Amino acid sequence: MDISSDIATLDSWIQHLSDCKQLPEQDVKKLCDKAKEVLMKESNVQPVRCPVTVCGDIHGQFHDLVELFKIGGNSPDTNYLFMGDYVDRGYYSVETVTLLVAMKVRYKDRITILRGNHESRQITQVYGFYDECLRKYGNAEVWKCFTDLFDYLPLTALIETQIFCLHGGLSPSVDTLDQIRTLDRMQEVPHEGPMCDLLWSDPDDRMGWGISPRGAGYTFGQDISEAFNQTNGLTLIARAHQLVMEGYNWSQDKNVVTIFSAPNYCYRCGNQAAIMELDEHMKYTFLPFDPAPRRGEPHVTRRTPDYFL
Amino acid sequence: MAFVAYSAYGGDTAMNPEMTENTLYPIAVLIDELKHDDLSLRLNAIRRLSTIAQALGPERTRSELIPFLDESIEDEDEILLAIAEELGDFVEYVGGPEQAHVLLRPLENLASVEETVVRDKAVASINKVSEGLTETALETYFVPMLKRLHGADWFTSRSSAACLFAVAYPRVSAALQEEMRQAYGQLCQDTTPMVRRAAATRLSEFVKVLQPEHVVSVAIPYFNYLSVDDQDSVRLLTVESLMTIAKALTTEEVGQYLVESFRSLCMDKSWRVRYMVAEKFVELTKVMAPHMSKEEVITIFTNLIKDVEAEVRTAICSQIPGFGELVGRDDVLEKIYPCLKELVSDPSQPVRSAFASHISGLASLFGKEATHQYLLPLFLRLLKDDFPEVRLNIISKLDKVNGVIGIELLSEQLLPAIMELAEDKQWRVRLAIIEYIPLLATQLGRDFFDEQLTHLCMSWLGDRVYSIREAATHNLKNLTDVFGVDWAKATIIPKILGLSNHPNYLYRMTTIFALTTIAPSVTPEVIQSSILPTLEGLVTDEIPNIRFNVAKSLQVLAPIMKQSTELQPLLESQVMPMLTKLSQDPDQDVQFYAQCATQAIQA
Repeated sequence: MDISSDIATLDSWIQHLSDCKQLPEQDVKKLCDKAKEVLMKESNVQPVRCPVTVCGDIHGQFHDLVELFKIGGNSPDTNYLFMGDYVDRGYYSVETVTLLVAMKVRYKDRITILRGNHESRQITQVYGFYDECLRKYGNAEVWKCFTDLFDYLPLTALIETQIFCLHGGLSPSVDTLDQIRTLDRMQEVPHEGPMCDLLWSDPDDRMGWGISPRGAGYTFGQDISEAFNQTNGLTLIARAHQLVMEGYNWSQDKNVVTIFSAPNYCYRCGNQAAIMELDEHMKYTFLPFDPAPRRGEPHVTRRTPDYFL
Repeated sequence: MAFVAYSAYGGDTAMNPEMTENTLYPIAVLIDELKHDDLSLRLNAIRRLSTIAQALGPERTRSELIPFLDESIEDEDEILLAIAEELGDFVEYVGGPEQAHVLLRPLENLASVEETVVRDKAVASINKVSEGLTETALETYFVPMLKRLHGADWFTSRSSAACLFAVAYPRVSAALQEEMRQAYGQLCQDTTPMVRRAAATRLSEFVKVLQPEHVVSVAIPYFNYLSVDDQDSVRLLTVESLMTIAKALTTEEVGQYLVESFRSLCMDKSWRVRYMVAEKFVELTKVMAPHMSKEEVITIFTNLIKDVEAEVRTAICSQIPGFGELVGRDDVLEKIYPCLKELVSDPSQPVRSAFASHISGLASLFGKEATHQYLLPLFLRLLKDDFPEVRLNIISKLDKVNGVIGIELLSEQLLPAIMELAEDKQWRVRLAIIEYIPLLATQLGRDFFDEQLTHLCMSWLGDRVYSIREAATHNLKNLTDVFGVDWAKATIIPKILGLSNHPNYLYRMTTIFALTTIAPSVTPEVIQSSILPTLEGLVTDEIPNIRFNVAKSLQVLAPIMKQSTELQPLLESQVMPMLTKLSQDPDQDVQFYAQCATQAIQA
């Protein structure tokens, strides 16, 4: 296929997906094949230039992703870096992940998509993406296609050698970015070890390393993030993975920031979402946003009793 | 059975003779799939049932396919639903209306199953099929089926039966009609609420086909059973039939038979019933009004406005303008306004939202002075509501008020509130204000606008939210259309150009968007002296996103330039060199958009 017809096809897919309509199974397969070619060239620590807008978890909340673009601007005009967790929980994981992957293939220099702990075969079988694929396509082929593709997603990104971006957090087996660069990432997220930790760990108020209540990854204290930033010449670790009520949250004396981009997470948490705009002078602005208004859905005027939450 | 052993190569005389083995093979596959273990394959085959029937011909469809489907009743609900739907359009495949009655048997079974959606679809299909039945077929097949459903032990069949009266009633003998009327009455007093609900839902439909002499003697008693049912879920369904029955009666009869029921429904102890009344209050009142005093109607209305349940108050809000028309301005002001005033501070947000959407509907009734005196204070309070949706609803209806009190009074009173909302923290509220600006502009005039609002319009170009910046550029185009190019040149263009030096690429991009958007509304001179030089300056911008947006913008400008004799030569002398430079850009997106623009110009 020549380049211009390739671009025309991709543009028509993106157009179609923007209306929250899924692609036919055959097209998803073609898209994932193209995406593998693009992603396999990227590094485990993918370099990203500023200006760029950094986003956290989306979790299949397609209409809120559309809202995100209304706030931050459209791709490719605005550059984006997504830090994983595109699927599971929300109703439109299929449309969400297909759109983001299609954008990545179409504008590989304008958008970077990292791997989150939900971009995994095991997790998606429990939290919804597998069932959604089965329901929307009648078989598990599309799920297989995407979970195979997830093995190719870069684990972390580095903005202008200063801001280190990843889904989860730090790992006791990783001191330097070079150590991450040497990992073999083309595999299912393992249950333990550096690759698992990068996608699962959380910052904590306690110093040092701690056992994570999640059962995977670790908690790390301010001493750990300070040392890591010092060793690697970083100014900040930007990560996602945890619900924060204002959409973003500074921690560990501004060594770490958490960004979460799924407003009213699971359609009931009542949280705001946020994105972080970095301009070409590395000046950052946080843009909080609320869920997109859901037209056509009935107004819930009676509050859900607390014991359902 | 015969069908199971069926082979598509069997050579049926009824089969289309043009069909070769090639076209028959897929049919044979489909037939096999009807019995396949895989649900999705069975479903697919059901969806193509008409293709199979066409291949079999009407006779074998009747003798083999329909009995086979009859036996599929134990299948998954998804399959049953599909069968129920397909059979509704099956009349032509079984040999036309004279043979359509064979479809009744499988549909009768489907109308008795547990799953409601299957039953509903089966009922719809029976009604569809029965429209074409002859009178004899109705009496020989349909009526006995109806009797079986009606007399069945389980409520599912009886619920379905209630939905099948209206289609047959007008076309059967007087004796059967008599029987059917009685049978419907039994359903209205059925022991299970589900059946009574079905009877209440379909009562309107049945009333429409009753002869006038039976409406009073039959429909009224049935309505009376249902409207005092001990289940509120039954009573609430009678509001709809109240309207239909009233339309079938004379004014006098309405007074005699229905007014009492209307009164009690309005004061029903269940909020869900009062909600149904509130939703249709104006329509109902129009019918009942001749038999009730104005005072009484107004008292009922104000009681609904003061209802303890927020849902009821929300529903009655939508009736405020219509009810106002009905009783007239003086009564609204004297008797209703005191309660309306309270809704502004209603504790429920959906009530205030609904109130904000509908209250401006009173402006035309009130006229200029009363609107100013009574409604404006309410608007001002609602504009300051804590919930953005309330503020949004009042703003989006302000044009109705403009027409009544004139823009001057409106702006004098509301402008401070609008200015405040223009900086609301919810971007959709800001967006609503922007959309309202061109209207304000046409009515305020240039001087007043410049003094009060131009600054605001420019500040939106620097909004943090992209959609506001985008709306701001369209707003500037609309304003240019209102105030003219000279105004744009003097007032807004210098400020837009100023943004092209902004340190953040997203705001420099706004410059490009704004210039591109207003280009169709300005003179060639502005394009030449302001727009092109600015774009030229951005060709060497550090950020690729800016560079490829220059290319995109040039692509939009090209057709405008081609139409102007002054600008046409500039395509070659100025635009093409810019695009040539961009085509050699190291960034592939810049290259791509530069090539697109070049092709568009050369085309």
